[in-house]
Amino acid sequence: MLRKNGFICALLIVSCVFMIPAVNCLAADSIVIGVPTSTGFLEGKEALKAVNLAVEEINAEGGVQVGAEKKLFKVESVDIRDAAPGVPVPEALLGLEKIILEKKPVALVVGPFRSEALMAGMDIIAKYKTPLLGTIAMSPASEGKIKKEPEKYKYIFRTCLNAKYLVKYLAGTMAHINKEFGFKKVYIMNQDVAWARKTAEIITKVYFDKAGWEVVGHEAYPTGTSDFSSALMKVRAKGAQVILPIFDMPQSGSLVKQWNSMKVPALLAGFISPLAGPGAWKTFDQKISGAINCNFEMGSAISSAKVPKSKAFADAYAKKWGASIEAGHGISPSYESIYLLAEAIERAGSLDADAIVAELKKTDREGVMGRIKFDEGHQVIYDMDPKTSAVAAVIQWNDDGTRTIVFPKSIADGGIKLPAGLKAAK
Amino acid sequence: MFIGTTLYALINTSILALMAIGFNLTFGISGVANFAYGAIYILAAYCIWGMINLLQLPYLLAVAIAVLGNMVLGALIYRFVLLRIRGQALSEVIATFGIGLAILELFSYFGWVGFEYTLPVFSDRSFIIAGTYIDFQRIAIAGFAAVLIFGLWIFTHHTSVGLAFRGIAQDERTALTFGIDSDRIGALSVSIGAGLAALAALFIIPLGSISPGEGYDVLIKALAVCIIGGLGSTGGVVLASFIVGFAERFTDTYIGSHWTMIVSLAAILIVLTVKPSGLLGKQKELEERI
Repeated sequence: MLRKNGFICALLIVSCVFMIPAVNCLAADSIVIGVPTSTGFLEGKEALKAVNLAVEEINAEGGVQVGAEKKLFKVESVDIRDAAPGVPVPEALLGLEKIILEKKPVALVVGPFRSEALMAGMDIIAKYKTPLLGTIAMSPASEGKIKKEPEKYKYIFRTCLNAKYLVKYLAGTMAHINKEFGFKKVYIMNQDVAWARKTAEIITKVYFDKAGWEVVGHEAYPTGTSDFSSALMKVRAKGAQVILPIFDMPQSGSLVKQWNSMKVPALLAGFISPLAGPGAWKTFDQKISGAINCNFEMGSAISSAKVPKSKAFADAYAKKWGASIEAGHGISPSYESIYLLAEAIERAGSLDADAIVAELKKTDREGVMGRIKFDEGHQVIYDMDPKTSAVAAVIQWNDDGTRTIVFPKSIADGGIKLPAGLKAAK
Repeated sequence: MFIGTTLYALINTSILALMAIGFNLTFGISGVANFAYGAIYILAAYCIWGMINLLQLPYLLAVAIAVLGNMVLGALIYRFVLLRIRGQALSEVIATFGIGLAILELFSYFGWVGFEYTLPVFSDRSFIIAGTYIDFQRIAIAGFAAVLIFGLWIFTHHTSVGLAFRGIAQDERTALTFGIDSDRIGALSVSIGAGLAALAALFIIPLGSISPGEGYDVLIKALAVCIIGGLGSTGGVVLASFIVGFAERFTDTYIGSHWTMIVSLAAILIVLTVKPSGLLGKQKELEERI
């Protein structure tokens, strides 16, 4: 009996020893996708979940056709922490380089949060010739670099909204507010980071100055700020009718709470990340009625029957992870990026970076955000109709805790309504 | 605008004092700079959130468990980690910072990030004071900070344990000759410091949300206030909270929000240059006089 047991044990050990190379072989055969992001932040956490969902769906269908064989996707992630206040850009870049060198990914998805980190990281990506489909960082300066040196930076793509397109959406919303209610006095409050600074600067120049609005105040807050009382007192004192917030830090939720508690008589309309998802109603004790938020991409914490894939994505995400998407930026682009990559690999028939990049540029796909195509700066084109371009969605919170898409017109389910206590100026 | 700014500066002062008082108490008595303080603050907040939302416990019970749990954790940290390295300042800092890092990173690792992680406000009412809207939570913070500081003064001046605290803080060896057990008092100081961190979280977190990154901010703010005031000096903490609290809010209103952090850092630099022990600190007083 003892001899028999000993034999079985030996057999098991030998089997295990032989299985190790087999497992490694499976790992070596799969297509590694690197996800360097700030997983300690909601957008990073949910973007990674969206990537995993897309990978699971593709693998369930048998994987990706690479030439004559099918290969499975495999996700490797690293927390580069660049979204956290005080984390220097070089530290984030170390994480980026580490995942490229250690995991040898075929492509990177999501990427840095901060445009400062993306700009600095572009040279690393060019050096290692690893395609990146960025889904969070928004400064259009990266596109400028790509246009200037297209051969060097051809590996960098962006599938999320950029600051220029965000301005287009915010300006459209402001024009709507002006037309409906006659408001013309705005107070701008933005986070002191590249994309938000640029957004505030461009919208002032291209819209407010030209459309006759008066910018009665403008504040830039360091990341991590959690007291906005001074600016809110100024909003009241200067008679601003609209507050335009541009923040993606978690502490910006304090602004919403203070706007409420200080009973500031101005419409909150812009982008505050904690206002994007359905959970905001509970988070802010059901006191956000009337607040308007631009969810950067269709599918990121908002879906519409007019873009069927966004509904399917929202349902699949909730089913897989047991909770709805709460982040209004980067989630649907992260999901879509995996499909874009899979299609580019299949068209290229190889895992060669140059071949994949060449095919990515030819992308034309009906996706979660609408129709997805890249421009010459490798930026997905966002406009106002999901049939011809990708779209964002401006939502307004209703009294019953639901959200209505109010802009753009092509996907709007209703118009903007003034919250109780606010009166139109015309 | 001036009165409004002054009122919010007073509230900011209270928030800073609440954040720093536990850290300061621990350092002042046991001499341990508890760099896990910010993480303990966040841990208490997550515990309260978890007990209310996941276990459906009543609010007051959740708070009591979190505060007591934090106190036990503080005592355990002292007994099993700090006791062995007591007196080696660098080792104490590294050990406590390591514990703090582990706690905060665990929350990040398990995905406890999101806007839903917040604590309820005591009341959602707002009041108009001198023409300025102020919510009840902020008024409660200011009131609690004042009561806490007064309570601590009573505790350290009129109770036997409090007097033992002061004895250890003044001269540990002499206190030992009077039969005061320095290890017991040391453990108690870390424990009470951790409990105060939990109370601070209970009052301050409802203004925003719980996130692991907040733990580092709380530690940095507590350190800044304690360094300006003089490590170990309760009066110094109050004075420094006033300086930083007013500097931040008045800079925000009259100079510009992006200068807020710079002005605070400049305040630290100036105080340390003029008085290296901090405003009311006594650590290097003799060297400074010489």
